[in-house]
Amino acid sequence: MSGSAFTPILKDEVDIVIPTIRNLDFLEMWRPFFEGYHLIIVQDGDPSKAIKVPQGFDYELYNRNDINRILGPRAHCISFKDSACRCFGFLLSKKKYIFTIDDDCFVAKDPSGKEIDALEQHLKNLLTPSTPFFFNTLYDPYREGTDFVRGYPFSLREGVPTVVSHGLWLNVPDYDAPTQLVKPLERNNRYVDAVMTIPKGTLFPMCGMNLAFNRELIGPAMYFGLMGDGQPVGRYDDMWAGWCMKVISDHLGLGVKTGLPYIWHSKASNPFVNLKKEYKGIYWQEELIPFFQSVSLPKECTTTQKCYIELSKLVKAKLGQVDDYFNKLADAMVTWIEAWDELHPSSGAKSEALPNDLEVFLRCPREESAPRNGIHHVAFNWIRFSSWCLLSVAPLTIFFLHIHLDRDWLPLIVSM
Amino acid sequence: MADTSSHGSPPPPLKDELDIVIPTIRNLDFLEMWRPFFQPYHLIIVQDGDPTKTIKVPPGFDYDLYNRNDINKLLGPRASCISFKDSACRCFGYMVSKKKYIYTIDDDCFVANDPSGLPINALEQHIKNLLCPSTPYFFNTLYDPFREGADYVRGYPFSLREGVPTAVSHGLWLNIPDYDAPTQLVKPLERNTRYVDAVLTIPKGTLFPMCGMNLAFDRDLIGPAMYFGLMGEGQPIGRYDDMWAGWCCKVITDHLGLGIKTGLPYIYHSKASNPFVNLRKEYKGIFWQEDIIPFFQNVVLPKECTTVQKCYIELSKQVKEKLSKVDPYFDKLADAMVTWIEAWDELNPSGASKGKA
Repeated sequence: MSGSAFTPILKDEVDIVIPTIRNLDFLEMWRPFFEGYHLIIVQDGDPSKAIKVPQGFDYELYNRNDINRILGPRAHCISFKDSACRCFGFLLSKKKYIFTIDDDCFVAKDPSGKEIDALEQHLKNLLTPSTPFFFNTLYDPYREGTDFVRGYPFSLREGVPTVVSHGLWLNVPDYDAPTQLVKPLERNNRYVDAVMTIPKGTLFPMCGMNLAFNRELIGPAMYFGLMGDGQPVGRYDDMWAGWCMKVISDHLGLGVKTGLPYIWHSKASNPFVNLKKEYKGIYWQEELIPFFQSVSLPKECTTTQKCYIELSKLVKAKLGQVDDYFNKLADAMVTWIEAWDELHPSSGAKSEALPNDLEVFLRCPREESAPRNGIHHVAFNWIRFSSWCLLSVAPLTIFFLHIHLDRDWLPLIVSM
Repeated sequence: MADTSSHGSPPPPLKDELDIVIPTIRNLDFLEMWRPFFQPYHLIIVQDGDPTKTIKVPPGFDYDLYNRNDINKLLGPRASCISFKDSACRCFGYMVSKKKYIYTIDDDCFVANDPSGLPINALEQHIKNLLCPSTPYFFNTLYDPFREGADYVRGYPFSLREGVPTAVSHGLWLNIPDYDAPTQLVKPLERNTRYVDAVLTIPKGTLFPMCGMNLAFDRDLIGPAMYFGLMGEGQPIGRYDDMWAGWCCKVITDHLGLGIKTGLPYIYHSKASNPFVNLRKEYKGIFWQEDIIPFFQNVVLPKECTTVQKCYIELSKQVKEKLSKVDPYFDKLADAMVTWIEAWDELNPSGASKGKA
């Protein structure tokens, strides 16, 4: 890819947030795709350690001292010694879109051998609508070469704005500790060429390894909870954020996609360490899921922040009895929103992802052919609608002509 | 699974437990291509249209063929619930089958090749889908966790990993996609060339458009809900038969704790139907759909409905109550739904489908 023409799409609208404790060597492989974008690196662990960033990247790096300095007493809501600290990067960003990726995730190849530009695919996902109210059996209807199928209600074909694009992983799959212990050798070799909307009312396990979202629309819900040092649970940060985010997206009429793009996940974490971290979560999950499945947010919650504050109250009321941890977590959720609102005083209004960003995207395609989606798709829908109007009105018109003009139009037209 | 002609290979799966139901009006030449996969199985051919016409079945297949005269003879006055001059008549085949599983396929659907060039044994994949559980309560991001090489992901609640019995396996189509008439008119050249290597469960509470071209189901678990409605001759609508059956099935499977999968297998759909003809058939449906979908999305079946038949009868009452105002057609349809269940119970007296695998 080096030496080829490269146009970072929506360069000024995307931040790439990377939590790290080691080094950022993996960025070398991503250079063709990430160079040109701004990176927010959140250094976890010992702040005195120096993190080497490969040359040529535009970045800011924040360590624990920075987090404490910027948030003051609110800093406690940001996890320490856990990749959950990445959400500090979400908090600080001023961009419209965030892509977050782990430092053991590399560029994958598609079945033809071509390297996958994960960021580009995420942006495509975010810039085209979701379809949470009815399942399309050919998956994302806005992708090139596909559409809504027969039986899909026409009034639902506009879709809703997409707030999250959840990518997947080839090689080491994102398994929990028990599964890793039982199947240490399993690798994900299956490339599933699909993007799909997760239907309204359905929860899913959101993995933070390869994730993008519309920060303006859903950012405040992307709090990764209290994990790591001093906390009783780990490896549930992204899960927690995903469940909160999903109930809020469902409530606000926003969409979540999963599927492409794939990255190549190189490191299998230690399952024994993982089991220690996840242990309580395995049991707590059994309470959390019914909780989230039955959450009902009031109509008055019209912004993400309002939804999130309401959710924090429900967490305290209903999960506080599971473990005191959830009381602390509910408080931290409020702290997070306070921090968010302080750093983003103008946010709270819902904004639309389309069409300006999509226009920019379509004007600067990285591939040969621009994706037939978004605005073009709206045009297609209008052509489609007009066509069937014409075809349905035409026979009626002909009939009226036949009656009123007393001429034999009908056989002539029918014979056409 | 290995070709049955190979010496020492395992027998075709569920050979004596599965019927293949094929509606046809023309001929069954397409069966030649399917021979390696279908020959061991029993076929139920439902001949639509003119019963005096002879349908040629390629030699070597074990089949029963039913035409309109047979339908009238077997069902008597209840025959009115079976559509005439529409592939919806296929559901007659479901009713007369005595097998546990049904696979139904259209006569313009051929064997597809997977990306490696291997012909796809669609029936085998459907059987795999039906024989392993579904996961409707929580979305697994690696799709069907019961497939080889996949599993549940981190964050998937352990108590939900047993899954529920799978009632329906909905396959897809390469080449001519199943588009509605407006889409066909606008995009006559679009072909589905994307092979998506996934099977997934359609979550509880989510409706989908069920296409009857490449479909398998557990007749014991869900058969009575697979009524394909009143279409074709004398009816105001067509090309909503499978859609209707799918929406009824989905609300019932959701209620009974059963699962529906979609995705693999692919077949190769060769014929693009005439979009002008299709528009005429679908026309009313395009509008009615807008009322039908909210109806199904809001259906609540009472706890007492513990069998598919009870669910279906209850559904027919709600159709009559809530959709008749849309058009008197739904009144007739609700009655036909009851007739269907009466006919089903008469032909299948051994017991109500309780939703247990």
